[in-house]
Amino acid sequence: MAENNRNIRKEIDTKLNDPVLRGALARFAEQYPVARLKAYENVEDVDGLRNSFKAMKVDVVEHLEEIADKFEASVKARGAHFYRAKDGAALKEYLNKVCKENNVKRIIKSKSMATEEIHLNEYLKEEGYHVMETDMGEWIISIAGHKPSHMVMPAIHLSKEQCAEYFSKELGRKIEPVIYDMIQTARKNLRSEFIEADMGITGANFGIAENGAIGLVTNEGNARLATTMPRVHVVVIGYEKLIRNTQDAAKILRLLPRNGTGQRMTSYMTMVDGATPIIHKKDGQWVEEDRVCHVILLDNGRLEAAKDPVLKEVYHCVRCASCLNVCPVYTLVGGHVYGHIYAGGVGAILTALLHSMGDFEKINELCIGCRKCVEICPGKMAIPDLIDELRARNVKQKGLPFMVSAVFENVLSSRKVFHTLLRAASLAQKPFTSGKMIRHLPLFFAGLSKDRSLPAVAETPLRDRMANLVKKNKPNAKKRIAFFSGCNTDFVFPDTGENAIKVLQDLGYEVVFPEDQSCCGKPIIGMGDRETAKNVAIRNIEAFEEAKPDYIISTCPTCTETWHKTYVELFADDPKWKDRVEKIAHKVREFTSFVAADYEKLGRLNPTKGNEKVTYHDSCHMRRGLGVHEQPRKLLEAAPGYEFVEMHNCDKCCGMAGAFGVKYVELSMPILKDKIKNIQESGATTVAVACPACMMQIGGGLDKQAQGIKVKHVADILAENLK
Amino acid sequence: MKKVCTNWAATFTSDLVSAKYWNEFKQNATNAAAEIHEVNSWAEAQAKVLELIAEQKATKICGVGHEENAEVAKIYETISGLEGVTLHTDKFEIAEHAEQSHVGISCAEFHIAETGSVCVDTKSFEARVTSMLPEMHIVFLNKNHGVNTVEDAFKIISPVFTSGHMGFITGPSRTADIERVLTIGVHGPGRFVIIAIDETNGGAA
Repeated sequence: MAENNRNIRKEIDTKLNDPVLRGALARFAEQYPVARLKAYENVEDVDGLRNSFKAMKVDVVEHLEEIADKFEASVKARGAHFYRAKDGAALKEYLNKVCKENNVKRIIKSKSMATEEIHLNEYLKEEGYHVMETDMGEWIISIAGHKPSHMVMPAIHLSKEQCAEYFSKELGRKIEPVIYDMIQTARKNLRSEFIEADMGITGANFGIAENGAIGLVTNEGNARLATTMPRVHVVVIGYEKLIRNTQDAAKILRLLPRNGTGQRMTSYMTMVDGATPIIHKKDGQWVEEDRVCHVILLDNGRLEAAKDPVLKEVYHCVRCASCLNVCPVYTLVGGHVYGHIYAGGVGAILTALLHSMGDFEKINELCIGCRKCVEICPGKMAIPDLIDELRARNVKQKGLPFMVSAVFENVLSSRKVFHTLLRAASLAQKPFTSGKMIRHLPLFFAGLSKDRSLPAVAETPLRDRMANLVKKNKPNAKKRIAFFSGCNTDFVFPDTGENAIKVLQDLGYEVVFPEDQSCCGKPIIGMGDRETAKNVAIRNIEAFEEAKPDYIISTCPTCTETWHKTYVELFADDPKWKDRVEKIAHKVREFTSFVAADYEKLGRLNPTKGNEKVTYHDSCHMRRGLGVHEQPRKLLEAAPGYEFVEMHNCDKCCGMAGAFGVKYVELSMPILKDKIKNIQESGATTVAVACPACMMQIGGGLDKQAQGIKVKHVADILAENLK
Repeated sequence: MKKVCTNWAATFTSDLVSAKYWNEFKQNATNAAAEIHEVNSWAEAQAKVLELIAEQKATKICGVGHEENAEVAKIYETISGLEGVTLHTDKFEIAEHAEQSHVGISCAEFHIAETGSVCVDTKSFEARVTSMLPEMHIVFLNKNHGVNTVEDAFKIISPVFTSGHMGFITGPSRTADIERVLTIGVHGPGRFVIIAIDETNGGAA
């Protein structure tokens, strides 16, 4: 397994301090979602289209060998050559032989991620061929000596001034930074390359098994030209691009341009099938003949991925890069920090599968699990889940760093040790605490509290308040609720926990608090340590079974999701625990959606208009993990004294994302600042959340950046209006 | 001329191909920066082509599609008679001259409303270079030969596409690779012009 000694923190820092990159990415992040939606306006059933595309991909992966065989037979039947390359080395050797056999000196390439993945251009140059990249963006970064920073827009990190400098250097004359002129200059220079090329190398957006055709989408026309002129055409195509039938291409063509660039179709969609005729000069005479065509099917880790029960989902990727365009971290730092050539969340997965786990280790933490990408991926790929899976496998194989595993095994898995430490922290933090916030920290912790105050650990945790709270349970309660607080609500926001319990008691429920409950285990799962997570889960499950509740309710969506979904997954292959876990997980409910359903029945959801403007921040786990977003809004709209207003990007991550907000402060803070700005611009003086982690992050940001605005959990607002 | 399908129109069925998709096609093609001229006869089409040649100050032109369509052949005859204009229609001449030509003229098989694309059959080398190398590409299109969606387009393509080279063209060549600023005319034509002929409204059939 390749190790990797990159200093990623330093690389991130460089990117964060690159104003050209930051500006370009920020503008793009704003414009892309709008363009994408507009492109889809005339598609009746987008979700249906995505489902049908996904189903098609599922079928392809299941029958990959059969489809690849058919593709091979179809290609050969049409007079083209076919080769399966197991890796980059095999592909290069084969290609070199093809070049020699056909007396190839000059090669033009149109952008292909598969060839970049194996560094084909570098190899061909070393072998003495004249190779020219013809995609404008790729050409620019090739003359700049950079790597692509985006799969679709490789040069998004460069300004026109920087481009002009590279143009001037390459062409040996002064080129002014005028975009149209620069493009025309490049066109003239590259045109002769097309005319003189002996070979054109293209990738493929799809390869059709039934007729051996490949399809290419481009806007510039370079791929079309590469399939138009040269006397030898080489296609480098990965297994993931195979489809059964010509008709299947329609699904790809309806999704890829819309998701990739916000276009209903790219300027050119070209399909090439077999040895097509060309006219060229041979011994001074124009002759027409079929050109030489080689189709190379690249494995390089793809076949293994196809056999993997979980990771085979990577075949759903259509390489549109839309997951980057909505990623809060990618849109801050761009693609270079992801190391290899595939950027973003999907890039981390592809890097692990097609390149090395060493690179994956460096970058996997840059996925904050906000699931924005899942929401728009054409193939509905669960990118964060695949990253979790890879992380867990890596941990299983290599273990966690000693300090981390020591904490998990000795602290988090023992409730008593963990809670004793938290209580000690409550005392230790005293010198830094003012009110309920820690505004400044000394030494190397200082960065943590620069743009964000941290909440202090409460003096009296929720569990110590329960003896008093249960006294308020009404006699003859209709149902029993066991309250799962989670660490934050128990030790940082016990007031919110108290308020939630009061709201539930007001609805006539008996609320109990199983004393032996501890952390839900999400931080451990997030680090990939599934064995310790299982121990933690078992202790929680036993504690709650004993309480014999009708429902288990939490004010934390992450805890809710962990109980509801992850516990079930952790024990899916454990016959001893499987049924037991499913039974208890079935009782788990998220607080706001549970209360909203009762309020609705009681006629307590009538919209009101009070004096205080309140906006709502969607927690990632709440909205995209649990699918809850309407209910908290309905509760707020009906809350006496408040007027509900929406904010821009209400469902964009606040930057906390578990440990990320602490470990990657430098990335977390710009995301938080953006959130605070959107809250301010909504005109609200209260921002409501339904997640304690968001409450911690946003509350801390408001304390430092916008003190007039308060953060409240929906439970706090509901409790204000209890009689 | 070599083609993927020698007679596309013969494969069209009324459940897929209709005149009713024109307006949406026109809107989407215009949004993609294609230039559209609607005419009611081949005579009007010819007039429009001559106008464009003059406007482009074109002196070298490549044209294909005349072997399959007598009306196109007639237009090419007229262009050949223009003073100071050279028209190449022979495939070897096109191979020789396409790169220096100002205008390339060819035919599209049908249009796709959903995307504003036209489907082109480019199995022959001369059809490919005519559509890609000159600064302006003009296509003749039967206005009534349209399909609704890309799915429908592939219902037509699937049975006939067994080998060769074909595809869609949707507006001129473009890039946004520098600062995401849309720039027209990169490797392909900077102007893509569709002359849509509606033979049902009178004129030569």
